[in-house]
Amino acid sequence: MVTIALAGNPNCGKTSIFNALTGAHHHVGNWPGVTVERRSGACHMGSLEVEVVDLPGTYSLAAQSEDERIAARFLADPAVDVIVNVLDASNLERNLYLTTQLLELHRPLVFALNMTDDAERKGIQIDLEALAILLGGPVVPTVGNRHEGNQELKDAIARVVSGEESALRPVSVNYGDDIERELAKLAQEIARDERLASEQPPRWLALQLLEAAPEAEELVEQSHARSAIQAQLRTSLDFLENHLGADGGTLLAERRYGFSHGLVKEAIKETGNGQRTFTEKLDGLLTHRWLGIPIFIATMIGVYALTFILGKYPQDWIAAGFAHLHDWAATHVPPGELASLLVDGIIPGVGAVVVFVPVIMLLMGCIAFLEDTGYMARAAFIMDRLMHLMGLHGKSFIPLIMGTGCNVPAVQATRTIESRTDRFITILVCPLVSCSARLQVYILIAGTFFPPVQAALAIMALHFLGFGLAMLMGKLLRLTLFRGDNAPFVMELPPYRLPVLKSTVIHMWEKGRVFLSRAGTVILAGATLVWFLSHYPGIANRQWTAERQQMEETIRARKLPAVQEAQQLTAIQHAHESRVMNSSLAARFGKLLQPALAPILDPDHNRPEAWKDGVALTAGFVAKEIVVGTMAVVHQASAEKAEEGAPLSPLQDTLKRRSGMTPLTALAFLVFILIYTPCLGTVGMILKETRSWAWTAFSIAYGLGLGWVLAFATVYLGRIFGYA
Amino acid sequence: MSQVKHKRLSDLHPGESATVVEVQAKGPVRRRLLEMGFIRGAHLKIEKLAPLGDPMELVIKGYHLSLRREEGDCILVTQAQ
Repeated sequence: MVTIALAGNPNCGKTSIFNALTGAHHHVGNWPGVTVERRSGACHMGSLEVEVVDLPGTYSLAAQSEDERIAARFLADPAVDVIVNVLDASNLERNLYLTTQLLELHRPLVFALNMTDDAERKGIQIDLEALAILLGGPVVPTVGNRHEGNQELKDAIARVVSGEESALRPVSVNYGDDIERELAKLAQEIARDERLASEQPPRWLALQLLEAAPEAEELVEQSHARSAIQAQLRTSLDFLENHLGADGGTLLAERRYGFSHGLVKEAIKETGNGQRTFTEKLDGLLTHRWLGIPIFIATMIGVYALTFILGKYPQDWIAAGFAHLHDWAATHVPPGELASLLVDGIIPGVGAVVVFVPVIMLLMGCIAFLEDTGYMARAAFIMDRLMHLMGLHGKSFIPLIMGTGCNVPAVQATRTIESRTDRFITILVCPLVSCSARLQVYILIAGTFFPPVQAALAIMALHFLGFGLAMLMGKLLRLTLFRGDNAPFVMELPPYRLPVLKSTVIHMWEKGRVFLSRAGTVILAGATLVWFLSHYPGIANRQWTAERQQMEETIRARKLPAVQEAQQLTAIQHAHESRVMNSSLAARFGKLLQPALAPILDPDHNRPEAWKDGVALTAGFVAKEIVVGTMAVVHQASAEKAEEGAPLSPLQDTLKRRSGMTPLTALAFLVFILIYTPCLGTVGMILKETRSWAWTAFSIAYGLGLGWVLAFATVYLGRIFGYA
Repeated sequence: MSQVKHKRLSDLHPGESATVVEVQAKGPVRRRLLEMGFIRGAHLKIEKLAPLGDPMELVIKGYHLSLRREEGDCILVTQAQ
């Protein structure tokens, strides 16, 4: 088994080379850092069995970002037999910067000169033979997304592995006499520690030390030769500073670019006709001073409509399908605990997971499309000013806007943000954006306790509050928990390219599948848990079940007209469900929560039914809209639409008459609903995207804390202004 | 060289060209800027500002890059006369 690693800059088309090599179709990105995960695929090259590993796209191996660390570590692994360096032929000088570092690893290198079609269009002619000599490895021209040069690349790799490649020779950047001398001294000290020297070539480690790379410094820290190495490093840095007038990092970067510039001069003839390229013309429009923002807004409306309006249809079908399944199971499975687990636990639980899939696939498809075309970088460019004010990144805008539809795909959409800090802050503030599920609760509660105009105003205010809080928390998180972690906004604006539709579709499918397998399991487990909490022990109470059956039989025995009989049976069913729910563990939990919730929901201690809010809130953790259904069950009223002529639905009527909520506590309840915790689906997604239980727990905890404080402030301020 | 006035990159206007003199940032920002091509003597041209005035788009080493004002503040340049 031979292992090859694909290394290259973001936007160099590395993923398309990977797809061409392995045949395993992956996403072809056009956005810095789109391959966050390690991807690998197997393929055959002649008789060779090869594992291809696609490294994250990086501009260097300085191990500053997560992506660079992954790439640098993997390349240091002795299991890597060949490194394929993918280069964007139309942007060679900068792409070769990474190459200068790869050369130091002393591994066989094959160069895939990608996007040669773009380069030709730009009038760039490349002397392949000269390039191969200067780089000390075979150079293969390719066009990744059209699979051009794929076989030649495979052949070159096979030749390198079998030792038949004649172009292979060690090349490294000459950093000039002064630096080379210091490098040699440092490498000599490093070589005294055999273990250290076996992990990385001593000269490569010495280079990293001169650049003050933290990873290299840590490695040295663990060495027995550390004092000698560190002493030499100080001497070398002082010497270079005094003689060459700059720090190590600057000097090395200059020499590397010098190497790359020289190479480009030798091997490239530019016959650029000086005309504005397609990208420049398009950019003139898309990032235009006046038109840029309207075009961006129109694009966002398009993505939103496609995701949440078009996505509503498959969502409705799925919901209807699960409702049928639910009804079918309810009538065909003999009643009992197991039936309830199936009918009220698992079927709605699975339904709650699957229903997200269409919006996730559509939104991820749109985002992949925007990335592949190169527009995503422009969107970030346009929105960065605004987002930066909030402590966020230009790329945070799209997740926040999509959050108004649903937080679950919105959290997943943060994947496009390269910097870990920016991504995490965006993930943490995303749930504050009010989603469409919460709207259903607002409509129920605001519609009950406020006159229509005020209700509409309250609902709008809640949406603005959500955005305002997202901004405030973004800034606050940036200043506290993520302080000093400031990733620079140095973002490449790649050329516009036509995406390959097939890879977008495959990308959508992958995202949907990954959601089902990773986040889906968490959501299903949580939903089952909440089912358990809200049905036990009542559902196992034989006596209650017997009583219900007896009452049903009594009704049936009366031989009432069908409509009346159905009504009475429904009433009995509601009474039974309410009895189970109101004695359940969740209800006990709700009552237990009562003292904590009393200051916001029952400030005068005159609401005996306030604990029911706690139950609804507990159940609402699964999905916010479940608050509506749960309130219906705990208050023993139907949440169906109001009858014609009646202003309120049966549930609203019951709430108004019996729950004891006032407009002020209702508002506090709504504020709490907005903030109190991300729903289970979002929590599952946060866990998947942060891969950290601690941050996931934090997102729940700060939501609860912030929600409570603001709900309390609502009650407190409301009273000062004379509302009750 | 001493007569040539140094400017901050962020003070340049769209359409203006300049040569990098020094990157004054520290730590990761400095390294990122260096590896993206902001080395002494590198030529760059300001393309445009974002519609809201920040960040800016520039061309360096033949590719397009966007930078925030705060990063542009720590890059010293001289303008071609």
